[in-house]
Amino acid sequence: MNDELILQHGLTLNEFQIIKDYLKRDLTMEELGIFSAMWNEHCCYKTSKKWLKKLPTNNDVVIQGPGENAGIIDLEDNDGVAFKIESHNHPSYIEPFNGSATGVGGILRDIFTMGARPIATLDSIRFGEINTDKTKYLLNGVVHGIGHYGNCIGIPNIGGESEFDSTYDFNNLVNAMAIGHVKKDAIFYSKPKTIGGLIVYIGSKTGKDGIHGASMASDVFSENDEDDKRPSVQVGDPFMEKLLMEGCLELMSSGLIESMQDMGAAGITSSSVEMASKGNVGVLIDLDKIPLRQPLSPYEILLSESQERMLAVIEKDNDTKVREILKKWQIDYEVIGEITDSKNVVFTSKNKQVVNLPVNIIVDDAPEYDREFYLPRKRNKKDFDCTHLNLEKMINNLLDNLNYLDKSWIYNQYDSTVMGDTVKEPGQSTGIIKLHDSQKVIGATTDCNPLYIRINPELGMIYTVVEAYRNLISSNIKPIAITNNLNFASPLDPNIMGEIVLSINGLKKSASKLNTPIVSGNVSLYNQTNDLPINPTPVIGMVGSNLNINKIISNKFQNDGDIIVSIGESLGYLNSPYFLKDQKITKEINTFNELEDIDLENEILTANSIMYLADNKMIQSCNDVFRGGIFMSLIKMIEKDYGFTVDLPNKFDLFCEYRAGYIITVKEDELSKVCNYLSKNNVSHSNIGLVSNETIKINSKVFDYFEIKGKYLDNFEKIIN
Amino acid sequence: MSFKSAVITFPGSNCDRDALTYLKDLTNGEVLNIWHEETSIPAVDLIILPGGFSFGDYLRSGAMASKSNIIPEIIKHSESGKFLLGICNGFQILTEIGLLKGALIQNKNLKFLGKDCFIRKKHENKFNKFIKQDQVLQIPVAHNEGNFYCGEEDLKHLNDNGLIAFEYCKGSFSNSDENINGSINNIAGITNEQKNILGMMPHPERAYQSFHGSKDGKIIIESLLS
Repeated sequence: MNDELILQHGLTLNEFQIIKDYLKRDLTMEELGIFSAMWNEHCCYKTSKKWLKKLPTNNDVVIQGPGENAGIIDLEDNDGVAFKIESHNHPSYIEPFNGSATGVGGILRDIFTMGARPIATLDSIRFGEINTDKTKYLLNGVVHGIGHYGNCIGIPNIGGESEFDSTYDFNNLVNAMAIGHVKKDAIFYSKPKTIGGLIVYIGSKTGKDGIHGASMASDVFSENDEDDKRPSVQVGDPFMEKLLMEGCLELMSSGLIESMQDMGAAGITSSSVEMASKGNVGVLIDLDKIPLRQPLSPYEILLSESQERMLAVIEKDNDTKVREILKKWQIDYEVIGEITDSKNVVFTSKNKQVVNLPVNIIVDDAPEYDREFYLPRKRNKKDFDCTHLNLEKMINNLLDNLNYLDKSWIYNQYDSTVMGDTVKEPGQSTGIIKLHDSQKVIGATTDCNPLYIRINPELGMIYTVVEAYRNLISSNIKPIAITNNLNFASPLDPNIMGEIVLSINGLKKSASKLNTPIVSGNVSLYNQTNDLPINPTPVIGMVGSNLNINKIISNKFQNDGDIIVSIGESLGYLNSPYFLKDQKITKEINTFNELEDIDLENEILTANSIMYLADNKMIQSCNDVFRGGIFMSLIKMIEKDYGFTVDLPNKFDLFCEYRAGYIITVKEDELSKVCNYLSKNNVSHSNIGLVSNETIKINSKVFDYFEIKGKYLDNFEKIIN
Repeated sequence: MSFKSAVITFPGSNCDRDALTYLKDLTNGEVLNIWHEETSIPAVDLIILPGGFSFGDYLRSGAMASKSNIIPEIIKHSESGKFLLGICNGFQILTEIGLLKGALIQNKNLKFLGKDCFIRKKHENKFNKFIKQDQVLQIPVAHNEGNFYCGEEDLKHLNDNGLIAFEYCKGSFSNSDENINGSINNIAGITNEQKNILGMMPHPERAYQSFHGSKDGKIIIESLLS
């Protein structure tokens, strides 16, 4: 094999030599394809593994941590919740509709593979500056794709986030998260149990789509790459996935399946290798048995990423019963091989072995790198002049910025209420879904603050975790666990590698302290085009619960005349990076001041106090304060025709970021009780005003209520069109 | 006598469980779930054709489902005067079968629309009789093809015979839109001439529990039960 061929497969010459030394023979083309698929970052985490190992992944509520298709947490009784987030960044840039649609399809399969019925999705999407046709095309395509897939299969989208920033001009990010409900005694794992068990293929036929998708996703783009790479984007069919989901869930509940693994990135290769590795067994698969859409070579079959396919192991006696159930759902089904005791992965075609590799060299001997990284430089304290900013200017700077506006243009394209269990739809700080036939609810949110992380990766990551934490607390959802999607540029740059290492460290520190372990995740590196890296974007999805739906609190104003209390302390505008950037004071990363340290004890103390007040029905509504400060928090609390009248001694504090920041609204006759409780617990708070009908009044200045509300609700659509 | 009902599931239906739960919670009677390949349905008072993407919307929304094995039984049920309710994709299927007039074409902005909408009753029938004439209901919609269209003659027929069960309207707060999807005369739901078949785009089964934010969807079943 020549060097060029090896490099084309995304392997280094050194990595290839390791394989050859081990096998003591030449590789077949098919085997080279397998290493290409399994030894890239997407599948084996070769760059990040060393650091990911440090994350807290367990506590007494974790049933399944990282390593399976999804993480699972315990929600008491027989209820478990499975969830995971995954990226489809590169495919969504090349072909936004199909790239994002298949991202949703893939993450849903990860959930129902474990025996869980998907009950919600969230999406975290990032695009470049909106002023180009390209960004508009990407935004339209991605939202359409996410909506199309989720709407058709019928899983409600309950939240997420979107951000627009020039660092994503050539690398948009699409991270899809899914949540499922599983009975604890009916969880399925990918580990096969019986030697001689039949390996069966369930789902769509295999075609040419997606060949080398996983290795593409681990590569740096160069200009004009899109057209060449488009054939490696998969095409999704949500109707087929719906049938596949119902068929698989029926098979699992009938007790006919031993183990299951979805064919995601790197298709049949990675699913069969994973299965063998988990069970410490071998697999023997006849590629001639694979249902095909078109004639394919063994090499192509191995690397195809055709969607809506599953691999399962069943006992021989169950073949007929499984076939019957899948016939009802009109799903292709074929016995393609068996579990062996060889500990080798063997694929045959035309009675010839095309692949025969020991499982352990593919999985356990996968390369692991300790890449060089630089720590960020110390920052000099800087002063900024903001005297030219008056209230109107500061408000307009926010309401002309896509990142602050109501995103209903996006989420109205998603079905948020299908399944009939949605408690809080997108547009609020927490998406909330009820477990069917139960009083328990699950809350979820996705977050990332790339600017913070760019300034200080470790502290910035802690802020991101804290924002998610506050999102859940503001609905009285107790945070439980995290799934992460680490999106970064090329780790070959030691500065970027520094961002990776430090932000994982920040995740470790905050997740340990807040007792929210990381139970699943995904890494997406090389998000850069030529020399333009994205901002570090380690997105987290945080999931929590409340066992009693009646204890949930609203994120929206409830009654005219309720008192508005602000909780927490302003960081001050010099220490609020989003304030400085979005009020157009500075945007050069080097000029920002160092992030303020964050006191996690104080965050916990404040959160516990809010949960206590909510449990005892002492607050009417709550929202967290983050980017855009108290002002944006109040704007987002507007519902029906409620507005607010507030007074703050320092006008900048209305727009700054906060320590342990929340807004709560309280009935007037309960105010003293609430304030006493907060004071007793050393929670910093102040009474800043009241909920008032059709009014926005700040420091005695009256604003046109309908104009401001109209801008918040309608400007997004105006700007993107 | 207790009220008996059934929900039909087609491949791709995704509101069948929601409709089953809705009926179980509100009718206190037996509720059956029937697979589209069945060729008989036990005697029931109400059949719901649920929302979803039956057969993946191949060809046209509802077109494939309208040729399912179960359809002749559904026609027979409706001819006996019993109630038949098509919600969202169920409405699309009813127009494809020809049990209801008109067609549901793509929304005016060519995008899927998932949000709360406001409707009121126009002409009275058994499904909406408990709704007061000026009462506004808040119920979610979730559709890509919910834009009701029919020819002038059919529209006149619907109006003259009092077959327009629901129309979209403004809510009680600012920023609410009347014509959310482009439907002719803001039509949100229609009946047949005998008024025992109702097709509607909004999803009452997503608005009847206290956590739903609106319980307005309850009134349809309450009306039918009386």
